[in-house]
Amino acid sequence: MFRLFSLALALWLSAPAVAFSQTLQDILQTHQEEVLKPGRRSVGVVLADLMASGLPQALPFLEAWRDREIVQRDSDGLFFRVLAEGDIVTLADLDTGTELQAPDNELTESRPNGGVRRAIGEVLVQFQLSDPDIGKRQAAVDAIARSMDASQLAPLEASIDGEPDPVLKLAKSRLANMLAALFSDTADARIIAIAALSGDLSVDTRAVLNRLLSTTDAVAETLSADVNLARILKVGVDFTPAEGYGRLVTAELAPPLVSNDDIRAALVANVADAQVVDVPVHALGTDAARWLAYDMLVAGGLASPRVKPQEQIDAVAAHVFYAAYTEPEKRVTDAARSALNAIETKVAISQAADLGLDALSLASIYFLAAIGLAITFGVMGVINMAHGEFIMMGAYTGFVVQQFVPDYTLSILIALPLAFVITFGAGVAMERLVIRYLYHRPLETLLATFGVSIALQQLAKNIFGTQARPLTSPGWLDGAWVLNDVIAISYIRIAIFVLALIFLALILFVLKRTRLGLEVRAVTQNPGMAASMGINPDRINMLTFGFGSGIAGIAGVAIGLYAKVTSEMGADYIVQSFMTVVVGGVGNVWGTLAGASLIGFLQKGIEWLNPSNTLAAQTYMILFIILFIQFRPKGIVALKGRAAAD
Amino acid sequence: MQRSFLAQNPSVLWFIACLAIFTAVVTVLSEAMGVGLISTSFVKTLGKTLCLCLIAIAMDVVWGYCGILSLGHFAFFGIGGYAIGMWLMYARTEKIVLESLSGQPIPPTTAEISDAIGNQIFGVVGSSEFPVIWAFADSLFLQLLMVVLVPGLLALVFGWLAFRSRVTGVYLSILTQAMTLALALYLFQNNSGLRGNNGLSGLQNIPGFAHLSQATVSLAFFTASAFALGAGHVFFAWVLSGKMGSVVEGIRDNEARVRFLGYHVESYKLFIFTTTAVVSGIAGALYYPQAGIINPGEIAPIASIYLAVWVAIGGRGRLYGAVIGAAAVSLVSSWFTGGGAPDINFGFYVIQWTDWWLVLLGFSFVAVTLFFPKGIGGLFDLLVRKQS
Repeated sequence: MFRLFSLALALWLSAPAVAFSQTLQDILQTHQEEVLKPGRRSVGVVLADLMASGLPQALPFLEAWRDREIVQRDSDGLFFRVLAEGDIVTLADLDTGTELQAPDNELTESRPNGGVRRAIGEVLVQFQLSDPDIGKRQAAVDAIARSMDASQLAPLEASIDGEPDPVLKLAKSRLANMLAALFSDTADARIIAIAALSGDLSVDTRAVLNRLLSTTDAVAETLSADVNLARILKVGVDFTPAEGYGRLVTAELAPPLVSNDDIRAALVANVADAQVVDVPVHALGTDAARWLAYDMLVAGGLASPRVKPQEQIDAVAAHVFYAAYTEPEKRVTDAARSALNAIETKVAISQAADLGLDALSLASIYFLAAIGLAITFGVMGVINMAHGEFIMMGAYTGFVVQQFVPDYTLSILIALPLAFVITFGAGVAMERLVIRYLYHRPLETLLATFGVSIALQQLAKNIFGTQARPLTSPGWLDGAWVLNDVIAISYIRIAIFVLALIFLALILFVLKRTRLGLEVRAVTQNPGMAASMGINPDRINMLTFGFGSGIAGIAGVAIGLYAKVTSEMGADYIVQSFMTVVVGGVGNVWGTLAGASLIGFLQKGIEWLNPSNTLAAQTYMILFIILFIQFRPKGIVALKGRAAAD
Repeated sequence: MQRSFLAQNPSVLWFIACLAIFTAVVTVLSEAMGVGLISTSFVKTLGKTLCLCLIAIAMDVVWGYCGILSLGHFAFFGIGGYAIGMWLMYARTEKIVLESLSGQPIPPTTAEISDAIGNQIFGVVGSSEFPVIWAFADSLFLQLLMVVLVPGLLALVFGWLAFRSRVTGVYLSILTQAMTLALALYLFQNNSGLRGNNGLSGLQNIPGFAHLSQATVSLAFFTASAFALGAGHVFFAWVLSGKMGSVVEGIRDNEARVRFLGYHVESYKLFIFTTTAVVSGIAGALYYPQAGIINPGEIAPIASIYLAVWVAIGGRGRLYGAVIGAAAVSLVSSWFTGGGAPDINFGFYVIQWTDWWLVLLGFSFVAVTLFFPKGIGGLFDLLVRKQS
């Protein structure tokens, strides 16, 4: 197979030397002079013979030659590869690889110059593109993609037909199209190649098209006809008048501006007897006075004249500013422009879809973080500032479990229920010890639970330290689900989304289909009446609080998987969670879902509008929520009738 | 004939007397007076504590008397600090810049001076332009006006929006918390015009008083803080005496009933909310020149929650309670976190209070909420009852 490729290449090089030589050394010996002192012209013969030989050791030889590792032994004229340098050089036989030693002064180095090395490199690329090892071929394609060059086009195209691997073949023809678009000789060939690229969303295709469409800003008195014009630039829209004048100066179409610093320097240089010309120095504290003094200097021929603002404006108006394509052929740039426009439309749609997926995963995180709070706050009217610390407890539970169970899949499966049990216990304990005494004083539950919150946070800091602890996700959650070059979503986020769906279903099931749910709803609506029907409100409150806290623990494990586990992570989520509950509407699972979606989508949307600044995004989001509460004080899904009464 | 205001409120007189004695004692013992029993840094700590007491009074009025649990009053405190900090920083930098430019062969123009000041102040955030909000930074009078106006206006707008749509209780608490969080996040940005994360620094150097020692300056600020605290106490005691106070307390106890009695509840709440915001701004303006630096971290939501903690521990619904709470908790807190408290060695574990203080504070706070809803101030009730 390899021999066939090499022959094909050799034929293409139109140097059909027939090879009878048995070894590489034999070929080299026939071209001793050219190998030792290669020139840009003479090297072609050697390369052609080497390729025609089809010897597998030719490739490492070429690499060594390019890297200047080939020496000739003076005694017999044989060539060797240098393995280790020194006074005694370690050499390797080029055909067999046998190691031998020789003193340094008996060897002559072959020193190919830059042109020769480039020629060797080109041949190497051909070799690599047809290498039997798919890894090498892939590497060669990647190398070409990294640094595109006109000389690579022909060998790449020649290697496409013989490519056995369909994936690599596709990659090769894509790359060949890019190279053709950039470097083909005729405009028609380039336009065909550009058309072939137009369905491709990948970043490198867009880079190629953008490279074709790169412009340089220029200025001239009148627009010349041989310029491939991208567009005319307008003063005040594309650049300020000051920038325009600066460009004129750079293009040497206008005299340089005299800046305030220049004026100052000129004045300082001409100070004599505490005055400049006739103006005393102490009067030079304003710009107007300085200008006046400077103009006197100009009149005396001591400085170059100032360009007045009106002159600047006139000069800018008298010239035409434009952006010209660096590519001179107009048909090519037009084709590239329409191809890029088509691609960008697709990219925009994909980006919108990607943003939607991002927002969805953010919304599911908020939902997970907030749903426990929604249960305790909404159903019981109790505000739990320590909710964030329950999330943190869940995450640390996951971390501790991973210390004992090294298998990540198993440890997550253990950590999820364990986190629920631990935070359920903590929630029940808090309800029994603190909150049940404060049911009639809701604002004070806020403060008491805040006390618990700072104590728990500091406890976690004392136990686990301040540095972030990793919670490693199992291997099958690594990576991302890639739809195309723009849309990709990591498996962890999908897992969190699925977890959120499961919890939504679970909570709905518990509240609507079980005895406990019935009792919870009864106590929510009217504790007194529920009690007289034989329901124990104390027990229900305890269980509800435990349930809500337990879900926070599970949310903690999920959040810990993609964010770092620190003692402050709870505080990061508590305000968002409150927002979610408040925006969504109290006492309703669907409300929390709506709130989480609204906040998730809103945050991603604002981040998209202002991508550099997540701080600003959060600020605007909070302002939006403050305003939103004005118009729907009870949230998106507001309870109606008696249940709505406080 | 009604009895006079002070006769009705004997606690105000007691408070003013105690404060005056305390201020006099600290002044006499301070380094500035040559005795030096109280170090300058401790005078500063005491002065800052007095400012915290002042905002605690404001918090007590809005929460303990009017029933609005605001978790955002530190935002107003911070705004006051930023407003005065802008002038302090501008004026001091202007002095430095003028001195360095005076050696030049020709006098600088106003544009050059302003550029140089801008470079000095905003160099850390990679800018040299003066943002619009610094327009009045060169005028002490206007910045002092901002100390009062900006918190007042913000509270007015925010309160009007919130009270108008009848946001109450826990919702209002969350909303105020969101407000202070939004402000803090905004200020954390480098392009907010207030030096982002770096905040304003060097505020302890008062322009124009560079010849005075820090001992004198801090004593002056301590006295000013004490005066402000006394004035704030008297002002709020006066506002809350008489009919106004009764209505406000009525709103706390049953808002709907007060509304049905024909009072315009929203106006009363708005008045209280705005007034306390202004007082908080003044407290901040006195606090930060003593602290020397202000940054957005100061107005993070946690600070305002601590404020509620102080008031709750001190005792809500009585002004001196708020003062006691703020002073006690913040002083004890700095004693514990500053390494003043001795470690407890159990043999197998050493409790270091720098690590465990917050745990203690958290749980003692729970205990106070559960068992002493009247806070430390409630102890005075016991005393008074025993006497009678």
